[in-house]
Amino acid sequence: MQVTPDLLREIEQFLYREARLLDNRQFHRWAELLAEDLRYWMPMRSNRYPANSKAIASLDEAHQETHDLTEAHELAVMDETRESLIRRIERLDSGFAWAEDPPSRTRHFISNVELEPTENPAEIRAYSNFILYRTRGEREEDFYVGSREDILRRTGETWQITYRKIVLDQSVLSAKNVSNFF
Amino acid sequence: MVAEMQGLVNSERGLVSRRIFIEPDIYQQELERIFARCWLFLCHQSQIPNPGDYFTTYMGEDPVLVMRDSGGSVNAFLNVCRHRGNRLCRAESGNAATITCAYHGWTFGNTGKLVAVPNLQDAYFGELDLDQWNLIPVAQLDDYKGMIFATFDPDAPPLREYLGEMAWYLDSFFDRREGGVEVVGGVHKWVVPCNWKLPAENFGGDAYHVSWSHLSAIRAGFAGDFRLRNTGGSLVSPGQGHCVITLGGGDIAEAPEPELVAYEQDTRPEVVARLGPRAEQVSPIVGTVFPNLSIIRSTSHSFRVWHPKGPGEIEIWAWIFVDKAAPPQVKEALRVNGLRGFGPSGTFEQDDMDNWQECTHTSRGVVSRRYDLNMQMGLGHEEYRPDLGGLASDYRLSESNHRQFYRRWADLMAAEQWQDLPA
Repeated sequence: MQVTPDLLREIEQFLYREARLLDNRQFHRWAELLAEDLRYWMPMRSNRYPANSKAIASLDEAHQETHDLTEAHELAVMDETRESLIRRIERLDSGFAWAEDPPSRTRHFISNVELEPTENPAEIRAYSNFILYRTRGEREEDFYVGSREDILRRTGETWQITYRKIVLDQSVLSAKNVSNFF
Repeated sequence: MVAEMQGLVNSERGLVSRRIFIEPDIYQQELERIFARCWLFLCHQSQIPNPGDYFTTYMGEDPVLVMRDSGGSVNAFLNVCRHRGNRLCRAESGNAATITCAYHGWTFGNTGKLVAVPNLQDAYFGELDLDQWNLIPVAQLDDYKGMIFATFDPDAPPLREYLGEMAWYLDSFFDRREGGVEVVGGVHKWVVPCNWKLPAENFGGDAYHVSWSHLSAIRAGFAGDFRLRNTGGSLVSPGQGHCVITLGGGDIAEAPEPELVAYEQDTRPEVVARLGPRAEQVSPIVGTVFPNLSIIRSTSHSFRVWHPKGPGEIEIWAWIFVDKAAPPQVKEALRVNGLRGFGPSGTFEQDDMDNWQECTHTSRGVVSRRYDLNMQMGLGHEEYRPDLGGLASDYRLSESNHRQFYRRWADLMAAEQWQDLPA
């Protein structure tokens, strides 16, 4: 799929609309944007010395850990399918989901949208940055800041998310929980 | 200053003062008398398998560096440069022959030895005795079934004695099959504005909250329905403040994934043969090793440390563990279901945070603080059970473990030395 200014505009509008559905808590409508084969993944960051660091002299270079993001087979904050996300939404519907009762008030800010063609002509890769602001209760405030890498699939007039990798910038999360969607 | 402990905990009546969740003096005394004395969990052997591997953590509020030296021995030190007290190692894990302080460049070997000081000859005139300025080691370090613990107190009893009857319960989590367990790579770390004792007591004995606090996750299919099961089980206090929640022997509390349920069923004969007849009576599913290591193997298989960060804040550091001998698809199912249930986004765990936060914050009110908390469920309906190796409640819901947890807490806070502690 060729990247054009029109396509960029269309994808930006899609991402903004998606953010509005989340902030309006229209989660079932949001779920309609998720592809059947979705992988929705939020790996974890950690503090590592880079390979050129003079703070450390490795005993065994092979076991020096320089990658600051967990890998696919390791721990993640979220590692979801469409089905598990829908179960999370059904949990919110139950009337017993105390982390969201009373609900969070959220605001998603999406920026730095860039498109990149993929090998699949029906799909496009979209990079974006986000701030998810959450306030809850009397004076709780959390900022979840990071980047996303999406693969979006053209389905008729609209798009579906088939892959979303969410990378938060924090290593130790300062929020007491992650009960919203990104 | 030593805070007066009289009247803060009345385990005979099941009453606990709210002052212990909020008062700075009491918190400082906890750091001294609990966190600088008890055996605390550092990390799992599978995190640092190779010579030079290290992991940085905390014992109480003291930063600690756990390192496997070039010879393969595990040591732990204050992660603090002896020169000016800078935090020495800034990475969470890695591999090191030496680590150099970012401030003036003092360099320590992976045995904790100070090996290089810039300007040693010209500025120190060669007069600094390096051997006097090695990293400060913990007083004792030991391992139980792959779990590495340490204490800052040379007078603390050996780890095996400190665990006592809890050792069998740890076996039921970590030694079910040949090879024990290993951890999935990475550690969940997040901040919760609550006192550290609230999650420790919750995992230690709060079977009561599960079917209300976590009903949404149960209804949405993230767990089997606990309420349908009533085949026994009880709250067990194996002594010294350690606490375990058990189901009836043979009860399975896995996430409702066919391969996980099948794995539990298929391995059960091996597990019972390994753990012995007690495993026929009870299935331990959640517990706390006093003071701040908790373990769960229902819906998620996770252990976690509640690191104190002041009276009103903790960091949760949580791991997911799997039987080393489990097939790859079971390990993957445990990874995925584990993080979906417990962890920052956990469909179970996220609902706990609000409760612990508000229980902590309401303690700020001077009038609220006058009213004791109620831990009276099942008071008098508990007995010492030799077959279970501990005090056990007569029913599967009780606050008997809470009472034992806080009794131990009060004993440690009052005792000036280990010898003064009641059994």
